[in-house]
Amino acid sequence: MKKDLEVAGYAVLPLQLPKTSSAKAATHYMYLRAHEPRIPDEDTPRSMFIVNVPIDTTETHLRHLFGTQLSAGRVERVHFESVPTKKNQAALPQANVGGSKAKKRKRVTADELESQLEDIELPAVWDRPLQKSGAHAVVVFVDQPSMEASLKAARKAARKAVSGSSSSKKIVWGEGLDEDRVPALGLERYLFHSQARYPSRGELLRTVNDFMTVFEQVAESRKREAARKAQEPDEDGFVTVTSGPKLADATHEDEARELIEKQKKKQEGLEDFYRFQSREKRKERQHELLRKFDEDKRKLADLKRRKGKFAPE
Amino acid sequence: MSSHSIKRRRLSHSSHHAVPGAQIAEKNGPPMNLHSKSPHENMPMKATQNSEMPAVSSKRQGTDNVTAEFALASGVYKSSFFKLQMDELLSELRPNYDRHVAKLQDTLHQLKSIIEQIPEKQPQSAWEAEKELRSTHGITVPFPEPRPGRETKYPFAYVKPTNVNVVGSLSLQTGAKSSNPLTVDLAVTMPSAIFQEKDYINHRFFQKRAYYIATIAAGIKAAAGLDLHVKFALQDGDSLRPVIILEPITSTKSGNMSSKLRIRVITAIEESLFPVSRTIPTRNNIRQGPADSFISEGATPVYNASLRSEATVALYHKYIYSNIRRCESFKDACILGRAWLQQRGFGSSYRSGGLGGFEWTALMSLLLDGGGPNGKPVLLKSYSSYQLFKATLQFLAGRDLTNPLALFTADLSFPGGSPVLYDGKRGLNILYKMTLWSYAFLRREADVTVRMLNESRDDNFDKVFILKANEPLLRFDRLIELPALASASSLQDLQSQNMIYEVLVRALGDRAGLVHLRGCATEPWPVDSRHNFKTASGHLTVGLVLDAENATRVVDHGPAAEHKDEAVSFRSFWGEKAELRRFKDGSIRESLVWLDSATAPSIINQILSYILKRHFNYTDFDIKIVGDEFDETLRKNGDGVVSYSSPPFQKIHDAFNSLQRSVQDMDGVPLTTRHLAPADPLLRYTALRLQSAPNVLCGPVDIVLQFESSARWPDDLVAIQMTKLAFLVKIGDYLQSSGAAHLCKIGLEDVSSRILNNAFLDITHTSNVLFRLRIHHDREQMLLERHLKDKGSHPSMRQELAYALSEYKRQFVQAPRLTQAIRTLCTRFPLLSPTIRLVKHWFSQHLLTEQIREETVELLVVRVFTQPYPWDTPSSIMTGFMRTLQLLARWDWQQEALMVDFGALDKTTVEAIQTRFSAWRKIDPAMNTLSLFVASDLDPDGVTWTQYEKPSKVVAARMCTLAKASMAMLRDHGYGFDTKELFRTSLAPYDFIIKLRPKLLHEITTSATTFKLADRREKLQASGHAVVQSFVHDLRACYSPNILFFHSDGNPGVVAGLWNPQALRAKGWTLKMAYSTSLTKLEDAEANDQVVINRPAILNEISRLGSLMIDSIELQGTDKNLA
Repeated sequence: MKKDLEVAGYAVLPLQLPKTSSAKAATHYMYLRAHEPRIPDEDTPRSMFIVNVPIDTTETHLRHLFGTQLSAGRVERVHFESVPTKKNQAALPQANVGGSKAKKRKRVTADELESQLEDIELPAVWDRPLQKSGAHAVVVFVDQPSMEASLKAARKAARKAVSGSSSSKKIVWGEGLDEDRVPALGLERYLFHSQARYPSRGELLRTVNDFMTVFEQVAESRKREAARKAQEPDEDGFVTVTSGPKLADATHEDEARELIEKQKKKQEGLEDFYRFQSREKRKERQHELLRKFDEDKRKLADLKRRKGKFAPE
Repeated sequence: MSSHSIKRRRLSHSSHHAVPGAQIAEKNGPPMNLHSKSPHENMPMKATQNSEMPAVSSKRQGTDNVTAEFALASGVYKSSFFKLQMDELLSELRPNYDRHVAKLQDTLHQLKSIIEQIPEKQPQSAWEAEKELRSTHGITVPFPEPRPGRETKYPFAYVKPTNVNVVGSLSLQTGAKSSNPLTVDLAVTMPSAIFQEKDYINHRFFQKRAYYIATIAAGIKAAAGLDLHVKFALQDGDSLRPVIILEPITSTKSGNMSSKLRIRVITAIEESLFPVSRTIPTRNNIRQGPADSFISEGATPVYNASLRSEATVALYHKYIYSNIRRCESFKDACILGRAWLQQRGFGSSYRSGGLGGFEWTALMSLLLDGGGPNGKPVLLKSYSSYQLFKATLQFLAGRDLTNPLALFTADLSFPGGSPVLYDGKRGLNILYKMTLWSYAFLRREADVTVRMLNESRDDNFDKVFILKANEPLLRFDRLIELPALASASSLQDLQSQNMIYEVLVRALGDRAGLVHLRGCATEPWPVDSRHNFKTASGHLTVGLVLDAENATRVVDHGPAAEHKDEAVSFRSFWGEKAELRRFKDGSIRESLVWLDSATAPSIINQILSYILKRHFNYTDFDIKIVGDEFDETLRKNGDGVVSYSSPPFQKIHDAFNSLQRSVQDMDGVPLTTRHLAPADPLLRYTALRLQSAPNVLCGPVDIVLQFESSARWPDDLVAIQMTKLAFLVKIGDYLQSSGAAHLCKIGLEDVSSRILNNAFLDITHTSNVLFRLRIHHDREQMLLERHLKDKGSHPSMRQELAYALSEYKRQFVQAPRLTQAIRTLCTRFPLLSPTIRLVKHWFSQHLLTEQIREETVELLVVRVFTQPYPWDTPSSIMTGFMRTLQLLARWDWQQEALMVDFGALDKTTVEAIQTRFSAWRKIDPAMNTLSLFVASDLDPDGVTWTQYEKPSKVVAARMCTLAKASMAMLRDHGYGFDTKELFRTSLAPYDFIIKLRPKLLHEITTSATTFKLADRREKLQASGHAVVQSFVHDLRACYSPNILFFHSDGNPGVVAGLWNPQALRAKGWTLKMAYSTSLTKLEDAEANDQVVINRPAILNEISRLGSLMIDSIELQGTDKNLA
C-alpha cells in the first residue's frame, strides 16, 4: 500500500525537467494543496495553492499541466507571488495624497479613479516574467470540482512517480507545450529586453498623458471632497472652520525647522550668565571625561579581545 | 719578544671605574645587582603596570581615573586611549627580566670564569699566533682586512681581561622584545698591557683585538658543559670588529637558556688607552696598507669612531644608567623608541641604518643634557615616556645633523658628508654608522611620525608602533637590485655604496624624493673557518621614493651652454645622452631627452639602467628593477591608458562640457536647468575600461540633471516619476532638434517599483559619447522620508520606501558628489586615477566587480592616498596598489568602520560616523544587509555604496582573504614575486561554473537577423555585454540569497556560482523557504519533512533560462557528485 507523497499537508508532485544542452535531466518538486487564505473570498473554494513553481513558469505552463498533462481541470487564472494583487496594492503610498484622514471620507469616485491610476503602467520591458526560485502561486480553476480533481490527479501522479512502476509516464515539465505559445528564453529573451526597455516616444507620451489626466482628476475630486467636508457638520453638529489655502505639508516642515534654528540662535551666548550654570558645566565636563575614559577602557579591552596581543607586527 | 715587552707602555688602571652594579659579582649576576635589593623593585614591570603616572605626579598613585584625567588635562599623552594602548604595548614588549636573569645567571657565571681562566699567551708574531690557534684549537682568527702579513712587526699576546661585565639593554632594562632573539652583551675589557701606543693606526688595534677574540673563542670552545654554539659575527656589521655569538644548541633541551636568548661577547678597552684626540673625526688613521686595500687620503671618521666606541662601552653604560636613575620614564621611552625603529627597519648595523636601540638610548641621554638652543636640554627628566619619545623624534625631524652638532665641546671640526651628533664628554659621534641615505630616511620617518602624533583626529597608535612599515613594496616606488659588491671590508663597502648613492641622487634629481640603499647582511660564521665574503650571494637593494609630479618628465634641462664648467661636468656625467638643444624660450641648454612611449620602459627605468651602466658597468642583466610591472598591467588591461590626462578621458570630458552648455540654454522645456552634474566613473577618471570596442568609447556615462525648483511638481511619488518621463521626452526632442545629439531615446529601469526612478534618457552626443541622463528632483527625498515616518504603513511598503530612499541618495546626491570630489583629487594626486583603475582590475580579475560597487573600491584607494600614514602619499602605482591590498588585508570590517578623508574629516565627524556604525551593527548584527561600512566626510551615512548586500558578508570575507593571501605572498617571496600572480584567480573555490558561449559577444550582431525581432539592427549591436549582464541579473533575481553569482567584465565568459551553505543543510519544510527544494527521503515521506535545496533541478533551470547562450555548466567540489 503506497502512501501519499506528502509534506506538511502539501501533496508533492515530482516534475521531470528534460535534459538540456548543458544540464542533465532532473526532478523538480512542486507542493500543492487547496487554497486556504486567512481571509477567504468567493474564489477560494476553486483555488489551489502551489509552492515551488519552476522559475520559468507561466500561466500557460500551469494550464497545460493541469489541463493536458494531468487532464483534470481547466484553469481560469493564476496569481503569481511576484505580481502583487490589487488588494496588496491598496497600501501603496500613491493613495496617501490626502493623508490617512482623507481616506475615510473619500467618495467612491476618488477610489475608482485611483485604482484606474494604478492600471496605467509603463510599457513592459520583459516578454516573460520569471518566478523567484521556490515561489508560490494561486491557481484559480473554473470550478471547485476541477480543483479537487486536479489535486487528486496530482497525488496520483506523485504516487506513480515514487513507486517507479510506470517511469515512462513521468510528468515532464512543459512537454507537449507548443513553443510558440510562450516567449522563448535564452538569447531571444535578452534581445527582446534590450529593445523593449527603449519604448517608442509615442507610447511613453501616451502613458504619461493618461496618467497625468487621471492624476489631475483624482486631485480635483479630492479637493471637492475636502471642500464639501468643510461645509458639512460632523456628528456633533460642528463645522470645522478652515481658512485660506493650506500650505503643503512639506513646506510646513521646512518652516518649522527654520523656526527651531532661530530659537537656538537666540539662546546662544546666554549659557554662562549665572554661576550655577558654569558650575554645572564644569561638572558635566568632568563627567564627560570620566565617561570617555571608561569608554576608552572598554575599547581597549575589546581591541585586546579581537587582536590578542599588542605587539608590533 | 722581550724587546716588545720593554716597548709596551703600561697604561694606568686607575681610570677604570666600576659601573654600578654592572660588574659580575661572585654571587649575584650583573643585572641582578641592580635590582636585587627589594622584591618590589625587582619586578618593575608588574609594580608600575597600572601606575604609569606622568612623572610630575608620581606621588599621586591614585586610581586609573585620576591618571587619565590628569593625562588628558595636561596633555602629557596624546589621548587617554593612546596612553592605555601604550601601556599595553609596553607591558607586552618589556622582557621578563627576572625570568631571563634566572635562566642566564649560571651560564654567565660559567662563561665569566671560563674567560678568566684562559691561560695567558706570550707575545708572538701575527703569523705564529694565527698558526697556533688554528693547529691547537681549530680556530681561524677573524682578522679584518687587510690581514696582517708575515712581515708584521707588532706582537700579539693574550692577557687575562681586566674585567668581564654584562652591559647593554638587558642589564639596563631598556630592551624590548622582538622577533629576534634577545641579546645579552658580555663586554670583555682587554688589558691595556697588550697594546702599544701607536696601535690606533692602520688597523693594528683591530688585528690585535681579533686575535684576542679568537683566543677567547678557543677558550669557550674548549670548555666543557656549556651547550652553546660558538660562532663569529660582526658587531653592527663592522668588519673591523668581529665578536663571538653564543647560541643555545636548540636540539638539546638545555634548561639554562631558551632559544630566544643569545649571548654576544664583545670587547672593550679602557677609556684612556688611546687619547681622544687621536680618534676625533678629522684624524686620518689609515696611512698605509697593501696596494689593493683601502687607503684614505683624508680623514677616517668611521674608522676612528669604530675604535673609539671600544673605549666608550663602560662610559655609556654608566651614563645611561645614571639617566635611568634620573628620569623615571627613560626606560619606557627606550622601549617605545626601539619598537618604532624596529618597525621601520632601523638597527645598529651599518646595513640597517646605524641607528638601533643603543644609539637611541644614547641619543636620548644626550638630549637630556643638551642639544637644544643655547645648549639647553631638549628633554626634561620630568617628561613622560610619550613626551620623551615624541620630543626625541621632533629633534630628529627638526634638527639637520648633517650640519654637525657637537655637545660639551668646542672648536671641533668635522669632515662633511654624514650626520654628526658628537658627544664631547665621551668623544664619540653616536651617529657615526649612519650614512647620508639612512639619515635622510630617518628624518623622513621621524617627520611623518611627528605629523601622525600631532594629528588630532586619529590617534594613529597603530601606525606608529604596530604596523610594520618597512615592507619594501609598500614603501618604495621602485626597487633596484644590484649584484653585491663583494668586499671584505665594511669601510670599502660603505665607500662604494656612497658612490652609487651620489650617482643616483644626481641622475634622478627632483624625480626622486628619497634614495635608499641597503647592503646585504653578514651571517654569523663558524669559528673554524674564514668568513667567505665572496660566496655570500647578497644583493645591494636600492629603494626609491619618487616625486609623482616630476618622475615622468620627458626632457631634463641641464646647464646653459654659456656656463662652461657646469656644462662640462654635465656632459661627463651623462656621456652621450647629453645633447645641446635650443628651447622655446630661446635658451640653449644641455639637455636629456627620454623615450616616452607605451612600449618603452618607464623614464625612471631608462635613467637607472643608463646611468648604472655608464658609471658602474652594470649590464641590463645585472640590474633588476621592480615597479614598472604594475604600470604595464594597467596599460594592458585598461585600454592602454595610464594617466588621467590621456586623450580618451579628455574626450569624454569635452563631450560632457559641450552637452552641459547645450542643456544650460535649453528652450522648449518648461523649467530652467540649475545644474548638470557628472556621476560616472568615466567622468572622474576612474573607469578601468574606456573603450568597448576599438575606437568606440565606453558608455553610457551617467549624468544627473537638476532643474530650478518649482512648485508645479506634483506632490506624489509616482506622479513625479511620470513627470520626469515627460521632461525627458522634451529634453530629448530639444537636444535632437538642436543638433547637440545624434540620437536620444528614453529607456526604462527598475519598473518593478513605481516609486524608484523609472526612466532615463540615453543621449548619443555628436562626439559619439553615449550619456545617460536622469533627472534629480529634491522633493522626492522629503516625500520618501515623510512616508517612512508614517508608522501605519505595511512592513513591505516600508522596505520599498527605504530602498527607494537609499537609491535616491545614491543616484542623485552621493554619486555626483563623489564624482566631483574624486575628480578634484585625481588632479591633485596624479597617481590616484591609475591606482584606482588597477585596483578595479584586481577586483575584476577575482570576479568581485558585480558584488562590490566601483565606488567602494574608489573610496578604499582614496583613503590610501589621503590618509597615507605611516608613509607619504603613494607616488607610484605599485605603492598605491599594494597599500590598498594591505588596507584590505588589515581591515577588520566586522568591527571597524572605514573612514575616508576628502579634506574635511574632523573629530566630530569621526565620532558621528562611529556612532552610526555602532547603530548599524546593533540593528543588523548578523550583517545581512550591510557588511562593509565605508563613510567619508562627504557621506557620513557610510552605507550608500555598501547597503543591500554590496557586498554580502561572504564576498566581503573573500575579498579580505584574497588581499591577505596577496600580502602573505609578498612577505614570502619578497620583491622577487611575479606581479601576474596577484591578478590570477582560481575558479576552484566555486561550486559550479557557467561557461557562456565564447563567441556570444560577437555572434549577436550576425545571428540577429535570424530573429523575428531583429528589424532594427543598430539597437541590438552593442548589446552583447548587456545581454550577459541581464542574464546574470536574472539569475540573481531568481536565486538570491541562496546562490551567490560571481561575474565580471574582466572575465566575461564565466559566471561562477556558490551555494549558500545554509540552504545545503537539510531542514524541516516551511512555506517561507525561498528556494527550490527536494525531499531528503522520498520513500518514507510522511515521517520525514526534511528538505534540501534541489541542486540538479536548479542547474537544469539555469540551463533552460540561458538555453543556447550557455556552453556548459561545470560542477566542482562536492557538486561533482551531481554530474
